[in-house]
Amino acid sequence: SRKHDEELKSTAAASCQALHSDHLEMEPETMETKSLSGYFNKMPFESLIAKRQV
Amino acid sequence: LLSYRMEASCLDLALEGERLCKEGDYSAGVPFFEAAMQVGTEDLLVLSAIYSQLGNAYFHLRDYTKALEFHHHDLTLTRTTGDRLGEAKASGNLGNTLKVLGRFDEAVIFCQLHLDISTDVGDKVGQARALYNFGNVYHAKGKSICSNDTEPGNFSEEINKTFITAVEYYEMNLCILKEMGDRVAQGRTCGNLGNTQYLLGNFCNAVASHQQRLLIAKEFGDLAAERRACCNIGNSYIFLGEFEKAADHYKRALQLARQLRDRAVEAQACYSLGNTYTLLQDYERAIDYFLKHLIIAQDLGDRVGEGRACWSLGNAHTALGNHGQAMNFTERHLEISNETGDRCGELTARLNVSDLQTVLGLSYSTNSSVLSENKAGARPKMSRRYSMDNLQLMTLTPEKCQKWA
Repeated sequence: SRKHDEELKSTAAASCQALHSDHLEMEPETMETKSLSGYFNKMPFESLIAKRQV
Repeated sequence: LLSYRMEASCLDLALEGERLCKEGDYSAGVPFFEAAMQVGTEDLLVLSAIYSQLGNAYFHLRDYTKALEFHHHDLTLTRTTGDRLGEAKASGNLGNTLKVLGRFDEAVIFCQLHLDISTDVGDKVGQARALYNFGNVYHAKGKSICSNDTEPGNFSEEINKTFITAVEYYEMNLCILKEMGDRVAQGRTCGNLGNTQYLLGNFCNAVASHQQRLLIAKEFGDLAAERRACCNIGNSYIFLGEFEKAADHYKRALQLARQLRDRAVEAQACYSLGNTYTLLQDYERAIDYFLKHLIIAQDLGDRVGEGRACWSLGNAHTALGNHGQAMNFTERHLEISNETGDRCGELTARLNVSDLQTVLGLSYSTNSSVLSENKAGARPKMSRRYSMDNLQLMTLTPEKCQKWA
């Protein structure tokens, strides 16, 4: 039984797979953005007014 | 007047959608963009921005089919209007979306388009971003074709080639980013480069890249990035056999997870620490961390995680000779594996129960065909070949279990 006990201990330790969990932490994707506020900032003020008055 | 009203209304709706998405509330933003589309606009630049932002919102909401649809609309539109920069951006977004959908060959085509147009118009930022996306596509492609039971560094030539291509793109990307002095983007690239080096089995290089990522994260006080870096450094140190160093980094990752109030990543850090202390043969500490993992898994209703925790706890208690406790957790592992339909877990749990019953001096009787087969001598001994003295890193995956069975 002691022999079995020893064997069991090693089994446990082994299958503990104290291993890597294969959990890689990836960095986020970078999506390209098209912003409307950015679009208006770039647009000359006059043309914006003109646009609004069409 | 009608046209003015239409314009104003479409713009107002779209701007509200944009505001909500900028705050990170994508599900609230989507209806505003959709309403803006319903109203319609004659300004094709506005329409392009709506398509693009809707695509990104759906991407963040993980509705990749819809994301693909809107980025595709955007691409078509930019081609019609001859908006080159807009076409580059739409291509980049299509590339990223196709990557997530596992359509790597198509993703590569759009990454190339993103890169080509950016190069044509002399847009360095666009070039750098296209190269980063390229690296991500090859990284994901490599990961998608490697089987779960192969250790990092032991993949086939074909898979390694894919990872090497990813490394090449990340390195080209880093060159441009260094030229531009864009530290934030450098941080991201270092992180993913480190993970690719890890998969290639270049653990020293992986540590160096992740250390660089860590440094940049600290520069900007980016706690989430710091946590990611610590976790990745820990993973690499495990493979370098430097378990104490791994434990130190996982502990920092745990501390940051708690600070960020992210329970799922807190659980992950606890589990990694449990495994690391098992490697260090400090089973009491291992049990402490596995229990923490168990509690969070239960709180989050994560039955798979709970089963994994019970299995690890059963093993750690067995290692300490606490066979009664081990039996408790092993039985729970069996119960959860049954419930979640995890055949591999079920088989492992049955084998462990039978071992423990023997050691506890109980006579066992069961109707399980698995057990009777094993009793008849078909019992796989594989796990016994591994001891902590000649430690082998192995994962117990369904594939492996099938081999055992």
